[in-house]
Amino acid sequence: MFIQTETTTDPAVLRFLPGRDVLGEGTVDLHDRTQAKASPLAERLFAISGVSAVSLGRDSITVTKNAGEWQHLKPAILGAIVEHFIAGVPILTDSAASLPHGLSAGAGNSGEGELSGRIKDALRAVIDPELGFNIVDLGLIYAVDVADGGAVRITMSTTTPGCPATSYLKQGTSECAGAVPGVECVEVQLTYDPRWSPEMMSAEAKARFGIRSGGHR
Amino acid sequence: MIGASLSRWTMAYFASALFFLVAAECMMAGGYGFPHAAVGAPATLILVHVVAIGWLSVLMLGALFQFVPVLVAHPLHNDWLPLPTLLALLSGLAALILGFLQLASQVDPELPFFALASVLLGLGFAFALWNLGRTLWSAQSRPLPARFVMVGLTSVVATAGFGIVFALVLARTTTYGPFVALAGSALVIHVIAGLGGWLTVTAVGVSYRLLAMFMLAPELERSSTKAALYLGVAALAVAIGGGTWAILHGANFTLMLSGSAMVGLLAVALYAGDVVYLYKARKRRTIELNCRMAALALASLAASAVLIVVLLVLGQLKEYAAAVVFLAAFGWLSGLGLAQLYKIVAFLTWLECYGPVLGKTQTPRVQDLVIERRATKWFLLYFLAVWAGTIALVIGYSPAFQGAAAAMLIATGGIVAQFARTRRLADVTAAARLPVGVRKPRLLFAPSHQN
Repeated sequence: MFIQTETTTDPAVLRFLPGRDVLGEGTVDLHDRTQAKASPLAERLFAISGVSAVSLGRDSITVTKNAGEWQHLKPAILGAIVEHFIAGVPILTDSAASLPHGLSAGAGNSGEGELSGRIKDALRAVIDPELGFNIVDLGLIYAVDVADGGAVRITMSTTTPGCPATSYLKQGTSECAGAVPGVECVEVQLTYDPRWSPEMMSAEAKARFGIRSGGHR
Repeated sequence: MIGASLSRWTMAYFASALFFLVAAECMMAGGYGFPHAAVGAPATLILVHVVAIGWLSVLMLGALFQFVPVLVAHPLHNDWLPLPTLLALLSGLAALILGFLQLASQVDPELPFFALASVLLGLGFAFALWNLGRTLWSAQSRPLPARFVMVGLTSVVATAGFGIVFALVLARTTTYGPFVALAGSALVIHVIAGLGGWLTVTAVGVSYRLLAMFMLAPELERSSTKAALYLGVAALAVAIGGGTWAILHGANFTLMLSGSAMVGLLAVALYAGDVVYLYKARKRRTIELNCRMAALALASLAASAVLIVVLLVLGQLKEYAAAVVFLAAFGWLSGLGLAQLYKIVAFLTWLECYGPVLGKTQTPRVQDLVIERRATKWFLLYFLAVWAGTIALVIGYSPAFQGAAAAMLIATGGIVAQFARTRRLADVTAAARLPVGVRKPRLLFAPSHQN
């Protein structure tokens, strides 16, 4: 599963694009834990200390923080999103009908989103040596954050902690992303929270390994 | 850095180990040692130690220097120590073989080869234990497979300890009563500690993780896995601790060993259940050669366990112990070792050659370094030959055993040739073999900058 991260004009707000439909249409804004009961995904996100609001969009999840640094919050948020989609539970419960729906605010920076997509495409040239498949479709790239000026931060994992290929995968990811036009500098952050699992693979990768698809892309 | 790096001398360990496997198969095919000589004859002792130290222990240590850091996500404590460790083990084994030849009056009896072997082998295993032990100790977490390895490493102490006592008594360096008593009766404890504790428990721990990793199966931390570990520890404690106590105090040694065997068999049964679960729960439906052949090695372990049960019931374990040991050493441990080497050699070679250019240029996959179809026939021949050899030992027909050993030798030659081809990138297509920045790897070691 590949989650893009976009900054917004508000430094306290970050948008996460899981690469699949979230609501499909419209938005739902949730401002506290009580409202979050309408969404299992929002409940997971509100369980993270520092998250103050969650907005669910057509294909994005916008998170607002009131405390903490994004570098600490983001791995937990990414983990919560991945765990939600792996669990295969619905985005909204029946009680969501009482919540106000609106149109997507659409505050994203399309230039950064486009660069993030090109980085993702470029990273398909990097393979996990053991599985012999590209790290994007394997779901090893958790997030690509593009900031103003082409500074890129990639959050990634390996199939197993302690993998002897770890340093090569980090270096290869950095080299590959750094060669994409528009990228000025790259920071690769390794995380094992959440641990990678085969469920994070794309449908194509799953088909390659004969894994029955669990409803993910 | 979270994780491991390439251990520079791993390939040298593997090559040395394979040399001794081939040497042992030559001996067996040529009629050297058991069944042509008695179990305690110098020729048999040479054969047994060539297999146990030269092949299996060197193979296992080479793999552990690479694999323990993966198990605990912590770098190896010391990167340069594996080379002196290997040199100490190889020279110690050479001294031990010369010591056994002294027993057969084939070498000058004045030279202290047994004492030298005790020092060198003790030093080699101590280096290894210190390096791996410090790595395990420094890790933030030690998952269950790592704990199996810790038990295996602890068993090395017992195995080497008994071996040193035997060597010193044989060399008449000591006449200390308890040591002489142990040298007379504790051979079976030495075998259990080595084959059962050091090699099998370690292989079990490594296989839990490797099979889960290669087959995309869940990593097991379930109660049966913990029970297998605890029962394995209990079986070893009864055999080694209780057995030693029984010998020194004149208690019932056979009863102690029977009790240990029962508990140990239960541990093997739990492990078998776990492995079947791993194969069933795997996400990767199409598995590679190393996992397919590992299944045959695991079947050999199960067959060894069944054979022990049957022989215990018939009261004939002692008469057929050689067949059980042969099946466990060559079907289970060697089979698993060769199967995993097929993958590990390719993986390490890939890292050494293509890791540094990953992301800069297109690289082949690990699978592109091997041709499984060609290797499969050699592995099948190997396992069939081992099973035939076991039957030959059971029925006591030596020529058939020699024929089986010759078939094992041919199969091993075929498998080693595949390793060499992998190492030389011979099976990678010419277009993909050497992109800019990639050099052919050396056969026996990785360059020093690969860290």
